[in-house]
Amino acid sequence: MAFELFNRILVSDEDITNITVEGIEIGYEFKLQYPSYRGTFLSCIEKLEIRIDNQLIETPRIGFYINGKEVLINELAELFREYWFITDFAVLRIYGEGLEIGTKHKVEVLLRHRIPYTGYFGNYMVEDAACTKVLNVI
Amino acid sequence: MAGKVKLGISLFSLTPLFVTRQWDLERCLKEVHEMGYEGIEVVAAQMVPNYPYPSDEWIQDFKGLLKKYELTLVTWSAYIDMGIRADRDLTEEEIIQYTRNDMIYAKKAGAQMVRTQHAISPKIYKRMLPFCKEIGVKLVIEMHSPHHPEVDVWKEYLEIMRDPASEGYFGVVPDFGIFQFTPHKIAIDSYLEGGCRKEALDKIIMEHESGRSLEEIINAGDYTEYEKGVIADIKHKFSAPAKVGDLAKLLSCTPYIHGKFHYLEKNCEDSTIPYGELMESIKNSGFEGYIACEYEGHRFDIDPKEQINRFAIMIDKMLK
Repeated sequence: MAFELFNRILVSDEDITNITVEGIEIGYEFKLQYPSYRGTFLSCIEKLEIRIDNQLIETPRIGFYINGKEVLINELAELFREYWFITDFAVLRIYGEGLEIGTKHKVEVLLRHRIPYTGYFGNYMVEDAACTKVLNVI
Repeated sequence: MAGKVKLGISLFSLTPLFVTRQWDLERCLKEVHEMGYEGIEVVAAQMVPNYPYPSDEWIQDFKGLLKKYELTLVTWSAYIDMGIRADRDLTEEEIIQYTRNDMIYAKKAGAQMVRTQHAISPKIYKRMLPFCKEIGVKLVIEMHSPHHPEVDVWKEYLEIMRDPASEGYFGVVPDFGIFQFTPHKIAIDSYLEGGCRKEALDKIIMEHESGRSLEEIINAGDYTEYEKGVIADIKHKFSAPAKVGDLAKLLSCTPYIHGKFHYLEKNCEDSTIPYGELMESIKNSGFEGYIACEYEGHRFDIDPKEQINRFAIMIDKMLK
């Protein structure tokens, strides 16, 4: 299985939207899809790096929202009972300032993931999925 | 379809359309029904929402769709996801729990068998037998490339499967990829895109098929470092295919077959897996069961529907 085939689906083509709470803007969000032919357990994500317009986003600012819950990037490794279904989007929430509506932004995502059924020879296959897209803010 | 061999399909074959949301599960079922497929395999980790704990409501809806499109759920396909934890491998008890869980939902969905992977280990496999009998579901293991019947672990599995105590609840799913002896179009395209010269690749494949070793091929030409890597890749993947005669030895404990392929030409023939000889062996054996189309040449620029349609034509022609 050539997992790199699926890199292109990692960042959804859907637009970036700002996050507001009672009219107060607290950040922005966009969607990710797991880059494979099947879903996986969140604990198989070994690394998740986000760059917006070439700037690395500090992980404490990132909320990873899936299955009705938001978790921190640093918590993913512990979530071995939480499943990311292949056609479900995870929402990446970047807390801080929102983005100006109508602008475009370069979104780069690197997701390192372990393929959990490949360890029978001692080492698991670990794949780096990278995807860059320019998304609109609406 | 001649005899009692039936045409099935693993919905995994439709991966590019499913993961990009062009086809949902119902569309997949509708299309394969219209192409003449009678039985399906669902890769639960791929197509079952809320996996590994789908809702009863989803199960009922799924069964309704199977009825609507006159399809039989032959196989619920499961993994041995031994590496889901970051700190350690799953324990024996955890592997049993995940396997039992798949079997429970397979039973609810009406599947005849659960396909698992060889990583389950002979020890755990034997431990699953009482539950197979209790719930009335077969637990079968796929023999996938680079394995073949002479691999040590498989000698052990086949002994377990042939033991009368298993009462037919165990079995092997030969994946026809084990018979592949030379690179398929998808691999060839990948080598060319990676920088391998076409004339060099033609020569490498010809020498590989004539039985030359890795060293002999490398020493017989002026190859770039990338091309030497291609030679190593071809020799690694395609040097030890199972013998066609091995299939007849497996069929007594084979309830289901994976018709693996990566690309079929317009003439509906596979030049990398000896389908003609394999299907003759199946016809002569009296095998009764499904041979499932398992298209794995996934690329977004190749139409899976056309490929699986060609597979149906190829198998139908060979079984007449």
